[in-house]
Amino acid sequence: MSDVTVEKSSSLWKDAVHRLQRNRAAIVSLIALAIIIFACIVLPAIPGFLQDPNAQNLPNKNIGPSASHWFGTDHLGRDIFSRVLTGGRISIAVGLITTLVSVTIGVCWGAISGYVGGKTDSVMMRIVDILFALPFLIIVILLGKTLEPITASLTNFIVDSLNKTGAATETLNKTRAWVEPITTLVPLFIAIGTLSWLTVSRIVRAQVQSVAKQEFVEAARSLGLGHCRILFRHILPNTLGPIIVYTTLTIPSVMLLEATLSFLGLGVKPPYSSWGILIDEGANRMISNGWLLFFPTLFFSTTLFALNFLGDGLRDALDPKSAKD
Amino acid sequence: MVCRLALIVFPAFLLLASCQKETQVDRATKDGILLVGNSAEPKALDPHLVTGVIESKVISALFEGLVGNDPKDDDATPPGAATSWEHNADMTEWTFRLQPEGKWSDGKPVTARDFAFAYHRLLHPDTAGPYAEMLYFLKNAEDFNKGKITDFSQVGVKAIDDLTLQVQLREPVPFLPSLTRHYTWFPVPEHVVLKFGKMTDRFTKWSNFPNLVGNGPFKLTKWRFHDVIEVDRNPYYWDNAHVGINGIRFFPIENPYTETRAFLSGQLHTTYALPPDLLKSMKAKSPEFLRQEPYVGTVFVRLNTTRPALNDERVRQALSLTIDRKQICEHIAEGFEPAKSFIPKMGAYEPEPVLTFDPEKARKLLAEAGYPNGDHFPRFSLLIARPSARASAEALQAMWKEHLNILVNIQNKDWGSYVSAQQSLDFDMAMAGWIGDYLDPTTFLNMWTQGNGNNNTGWSNASYEAFLREAALKSEPAERLALFRQAESLLMKSQPILPISHYARVYLHRPEVKNWHPILLDNHPWKAIRLEK
Repeated sequence: MSDVTVEKSSSLWKDAVHRLQRNRAAIVSLIALAIIIFACIVLPAIPGFLQDPNAQNLPNKNIGPSASHWFGTDHLGRDIFSRVLTGGRISIAVGLITTLVSVTIGVCWGAISGYVGGKTDSVMMRIVDILFALPFLIIVILLGKTLEPITASLTNFIVDSLNKTGAATETLNKTRAWVEPITTLVPLFIAIGTLSWLTVSRIVRAQVQSVAKQEFVEAARSLGLGHCRILFRHILPNTLGPIIVYTTLTIPSVMLLEATLSFLGLGVKPPYSSWGILIDEGANRMISNGWLLFFPTLFFSTTLFALNFLGDGLRDALDPKSAKD
Repeated sequence: MVCRLALIVFPAFLLLASCQKETQVDRATKDGILLVGNSAEPKALDPHLVTGVIESKVISALFEGLVGNDPKDDDATPPGAATSWEHNADMTEWTFRLQPEGKWSDGKPVTARDFAFAYHRLLHPDTAGPYAEMLYFLKNAEDFNKGKITDFSQVGVKAIDDLTLQVQLREPVPFLPSLTRHYTWFPVPEHVVLKFGKMTDRFTKWSNFPNLVGNGPFKLTKWRFHDVIEVDRNPYYWDNAHVGINGIRFFPIENPYTETRAFLSGQLHTTYALPPDLLKSMKAKSPEFLRQEPYVGTVFVRLNTTRPALNDERVRQALSLTIDRKQICEHIAEGFEPAKSFIPKMGAYEPEPVLTFDPEKARKLLAEAGYPNGDHFPRFSLLIARPSARASAEALQAMWKEHLNILVNIQNKDWGSYVSAQQSLDFDMAMAGWIGDYLDPTTFLNMWTQGNGNNNTGWSNASYEAFLREAALKSEPAERLALFRQAESLLMKSQPILPISHYARVYLHRPEVKNWHPILLDNHPWKAIRLEK
């Protein structure tokens, strides 16, 4: 029994988790996100749980929310509940995949630029400056349109090879319904992914530059480690905080972009849905059938809010300079 | 105290005042300006290069044909650029006397030569006018257009003097006066066209702002792309005293839902079309704005018959047999009539009701064509141009999938590229519509002949064209119509097109707009309109 209280040593990560737990908004957001992601990823995969999101039943059109159609039906008699969930799948997939693409490019670009420095750094950052100056939405639309024929042939190739396996028509159609909306979105993935890494690269470059001057990097260098190892094993892990924060903030902005493009008719092709398309169709008919707009918007804005709150929470939690308590 | 009260009251007063601010429509009504929703950006304003209804609305404000439109009666023929006309006994030779006061909007006189020049330009093979066949009624016009003869003086049009135009026709055309109300029969200003290029140059600057010169009641005063086309009173117009409004603004609002919202917030006098699924709520909420009128036109799917699979008649029939037209008209295109044939009922013409819904037979036909259960059927895209067409397209997509196990993509393009894609046969299937240009079955039948600028299916049929040629020579109406029925049956058996429904014109319209009456062809003469509060 000692009367001296020794402060328990705790790592940066433990502190961060602790701080995050005390941030109520972030925790609520995390739970909300978990529910939405569960609903969108798992529920449509349970056979028979949802009605077919693309099955039309014209006599049942424009029915308000009821026991058989929780979120009502649209102008073609399709069940909005299953359309919102399957559409959420696509929106979330777009968010995750394009963010992954853009963060990977951005981190590598920024890290190399910051670590190598000198002329290489100048050239790489000027390229970023130039890309920043381009009108983002227009370039995304142009790239998407140019890449469309390539992905169309990709889709056809996948569908053809599915045909050749001689699988039953039923499973064939099911796989198709999975593959097709994703492959039609590949141009958008590429277009958004290749243009939205610019900010990440700047953040990472600044972080790498400040970390690279610290003593432990000197130590690693004096041990004779290679550049690659120093950069990826010693420097990058120390810049992870800002990267994670930035990632959680990129996902919603990319989802918003997908919604914008779908709203303009450039995203997922009918009959498949995404939140952007559902909101577009709902907005058109909001004078007469408000629920068509309400439910997709509810899911979409909840997800966006949650991701933003979570990002804020993570930023506070992962900031090593914030007070230790 | 007083001071503080004023601080609160004054902004509140301002707020109140801003709520009661007059809308755009109120202001426009006061200024005598008509605000029109016009659906899409016109492909061009050159009457020789366009085929659409959208373009026709603007062109009919800027130009005027020989015969005018009556606001109430489709068949009436008030004077237009011509004051009077007469014809010989068998209606193959017509003489039009032009308005002595007729002037272009730059003050130059309109002469018979301008008409002859316009017909020469549209018919010249180098112009490649997509609507040239509207002039095939002229003697030798078809041969000239197809390059079989190169001497335009053999074509049946002649400017006898400045104010006398004589046309000779290849067949008796009793409806010639109403035909000349179509923009393909309008004059174009020779002196302006030639200033900006050769006669046969396409898309030169003559028809852009500020170069465009017309002979209509209005002149072009502003053209901002995808924003607005403004036309204002043309002081040189011969009948300027009877033009009831000072100008028209055409807004290319492509999304009909947006257009409806714009109308309801007081930004438009009249809309292009009301989306069918808003019909019910409009009936309940603002019946005073709702107009439902008959309209001579057909919604159909155009097939590219040069594509493998679609070049097989059985496949096309199978596609047609699996369209449940009744369902579509009941639930998606509310107010439209299910099509039983291509031509809507008009006048004495009764089309044969041949289109049916029979999935069983369709599956059999598809299997015979080599695609049992839709296996290995090529993946086609269905082209659409307007968001309002998406619901019908998705319904077709679902019906073909359900009954034939065929998957079809839906592809959205803007109006200009949608039209170009079809004209260059760079499409598989397209949602399309056709509105009659005059009240005679030929306006629906002539377009499916070989090389016609509005055919765009790659389909042609010698016996079909023989029926039409034979009918053209008949003067007995019953015989003529019988031949048209035979031609149409042939068309419906081969089905390069899949008719879906017959149009109804459903739109929103403000009561301030006077002298706007329901007419079948929807050619409301702009000059007759009055705006009164």
